[in-house]
Amino acid sequence: MAVVSETIDERTTLWSRMRVWLRKNYGEVPLFAWLVGALVAAIIEMLVGNPFARLIGMPRGPVLFGFLIVLKTPLLIPPAILYNLVIYIFPTLLVARLLGSLSNRIAGWLMDRSVILSTLIHLGLLYATLHIWASFNDYRVLVVKLILLAIMITLSLNVVNGYMGEFSCSHPGFMAMGAYTASILSVVFFVDDSVFGPAILPPVLGQFAFPLILIISGLVASISALLVAVPSFRTRGDYLAIISLAFTFIVKSLIENLEIVGGPRGMRGQPDWATLPVVFVWTMLCVWVINNYVRSTFGKTMNAVRDGEMAANAMTINTRRTKMVTFLFAAFWAGVAGGLLAHVLRYVNPGSFGIQKLAEVLAMVYFGGLNSVVGSIVGAVGFNLLSEALRPLELYKWIIIPIMIILIMIYRPTGLIAFTEFDVKKIIQPRNRDREA
Amino acid sequence: MRKSFLVVSITASLVLAILLSACGGAAQPVIKIGVNAPLTGDIPKVGEGTKYAAELWLEDIKNAGGLDVGGKKYQVELVIEDNESKAESAVAANTKMITQDEVLVIVGPQASKQAVPAGEVANNYETPMISPWSTNPNTTKDRPWVFRACFLDPFQGPVVANFVTEEFGFTKAGVLYDVASDYPKGLAEFFKKAWEELHGPGSVVAYESFTTKDTDFSAQLTKIKDSGAEFIFTPQYYNEVALIVKQAHQLGWDKPIVGSDSWGSSELIPLCGADCYGLFFSTHYAAAGATGKTKEFIDRYNAKYGYIPDDVAALTWDAFGLVQQAIQNCGKITGDIKADRKCVRDALAQIKAYDGITGKMDFTQGNDPVKCAVIVKIDDKGEFTFYKSVCP
Repeated sequence: MAVVSETIDERTTLWSRMRVWLRKNYGEVPLFAWLVGALVAAIIEMLVGNPFARLIGMPRGPVLFGFLIVLKTPLLIPPAILYNLVIYIFPTLLVARLLGSLSNRIAGWLMDRSVILSTLIHLGLLYATLHIWASFNDYRVLVVKLILLAIMITLSLNVVNGYMGEFSCSHPGFMAMGAYTASILSVVFFVDDSVFGPAILPPVLGQFAFPLILIISGLVASISALLVAVPSFRTRGDYLAIISLAFTFIVKSLIENLEIVGGPRGMRGQPDWATLPVVFVWTMLCVWVINNYVRSTFGKTMNAVRDGEMAANAMTINTRRTKMVTFLFAAFWAGVAGGLLAHVLRYVNPGSFGIQKLAEVLAMVYFGGLNSVVGSIVGAVGFNLLSEALRPLELYKWIIIPIMIILIMIYRPTGLIAFTEFDVKKIIQPRNRDREA
Repeated sequence: MRKSFLVVSITASLVLAILLSACGGAAQPVIKIGVNAPLTGDIPKVGEGTKYAAELWLEDIKNAGGLDVGGKKYQVELVIEDNESKAESAVAANTKMITQDEVLVIVGPQASKQAVPAGEVANNYETPMISPWSTNPNTTKDRPWVFRACFLDPFQGPVVANFVTEEFGFTKAGVLYDVASDYPKGLAEFFKKAWEELHGPGSVVAYESFTTKDTDFSAQLTKIKDSGAEFIFTPQYYNEVALIVKQAHQLGWDKPIVGSDSWGSSELIPLCGADCYGLFFSTHYAAAGATGKTKEFIDRYNAKYGYIPDDVAALTWDAFGLVQQAIQNCGKITGDIKADRKCVRDALAQIKAYDGITGKMDFTQGNDPVKCAVIVKIDDKGEFTFYKSVCP
């Protein structure tokens, strides 16, 4: 008995000591310094990652923080930990510590100039970090792209399922609409194809027309969302879930029977336009627009509809309009994400937009947290990283991930980070403001 | 505290810098072969067959002390990645194997919905890839780096049509296929075309479809029965075949039902039972009554894993044989992965007569092999026996 309590004691003291130390040294470090630290770590990895990995007994720098390699050869656990410490954690901590007060001044100065400028600089740093980290290996580029797309999809579903409290299952359908629209547009106009004939416009223009193509795909998805939105005026809960699920199946069957787009064989030949910067810019745009949408007065009416439709109606909220606009808005972003996905994989087939996709998207939303932009980002990044990192476990992955989701549902029924506001200003502001004031 | 942290970090980085400058030296290159298989997801049995065949092949190489290339023995390593039967994961797995593990060749993915996008990756990174089982023309079309080990549907459709005409002398065909799955749909179309070329337009008297995961086919089967069809061609997977055949017999259908290579699974007979006895299908190889190398492979596989290998395993085995042949024909492994991949691709494209367990293959006329198909009869013991061989 005594022994047990002693170890627990020791543990808590160690833990609390570490927390005190972290708070003392890092409590006032702003995001700016962390980003610079991460950037430095990424640069260090680019310069010495591979030789260092070989030195400590790994064939080359691990791609996903060593998860993939460790799960195949557990002997490499110590080198993988060492690699993460030396290449990522120490440099980041060191730079963040050294830059702490200086970056507070920079962040403060930027904030005073303009919030937009400050945000853009932070985003630039984030992109630079991602870019350098990903350029270490093309596999990372793909993983980052898929994660960014997952963020868009999760966020747009969260608008309907979290903020408006409906249970919509039509997201794979919207994505399929977007993916096929974007594929057809880019193949018809900019690619010499055996089915659609020679390119109508010079392929050089394609890159510039790509944003337009994506917007059109989003709009097509929105228009198709009308099919779900109209019956959704009358139904809620389970019934809406069934209607929207039916929509997903209708879209899938429709494409399977459309010979011109390849039917079940799918369609290939999309040009390589969805590069990392393109996907990054679209994702950030999506986060920004959706965050503003849900924080606007109109966005608040969604919450009102969720919490009591009749009450909302009585308070002069046009619930029909709210539902309609929200559905179309969410579908738009799902369509854009679908269009990007088609160009990342450079192949689409209707089979990818079925129940499995739906389960994945729903899992990301509920894993991250309802009614929360941060939650969706955390959900999408966490779920995808985990899913990618645990892939070497094969079958056991499909035991571990569902168990985690069940545990989250038990202990945090609304998800990891639910019902929070995403305030960019709060995140990028300097951390020593209170003391100065 | 802060000072000590700084001191430790700086010394650590200094020590590292010194150590890093001292490191170097190259070992004997290891030949890495990637396997992109659906170990989880919709078709785990396919993934299992792929993995087992790959491991069996590796065992041979290990027993021989390595792969003999140009008089030198090289160690071989398999990198097996699970593609979860998803297009995204197949692309991610291929990218990872090519850029991170630096595999020389990739074997897989099996199903076309993963092989088409994964082939794009392999082709872009100039890494030879050989899909044992994918029948979608898009997989290898305009892709010099992507090969396959099986024959294509445009070949298999006419094979079945000719066989039925010669064997039974029928003129009216009924077709039942899954419209939502690319393999059955493609094959059904090629069969229809071939049949109508032989017997004139309208000779396919019933062309009925259903959607994946349907389990009741009585409506379609009744239509086929009433249409006066003399046999049913159904290019479906084993689980659906069992249902279709049983339901057809329950409706009083007593004429032949003919199938395609997707029937050739070890699960067919346990599911279908006596209903399937006496039926024919076209496939890549016949397990029962096999001789020579084929028998040797089947016996070893059966002894090790406890069941007769299906066509996926056999084709994967052949894909590995092709890879081995190509590496050996290439003659040297330099360790420069780019040059080695190019060498292996060129060697693979020049293979003229590879004698595999699923037949002789010729790659000199493009990346799809020219090879023979086998017509298999399910005998009264439920074994897949060789009936005849049809060559292009």
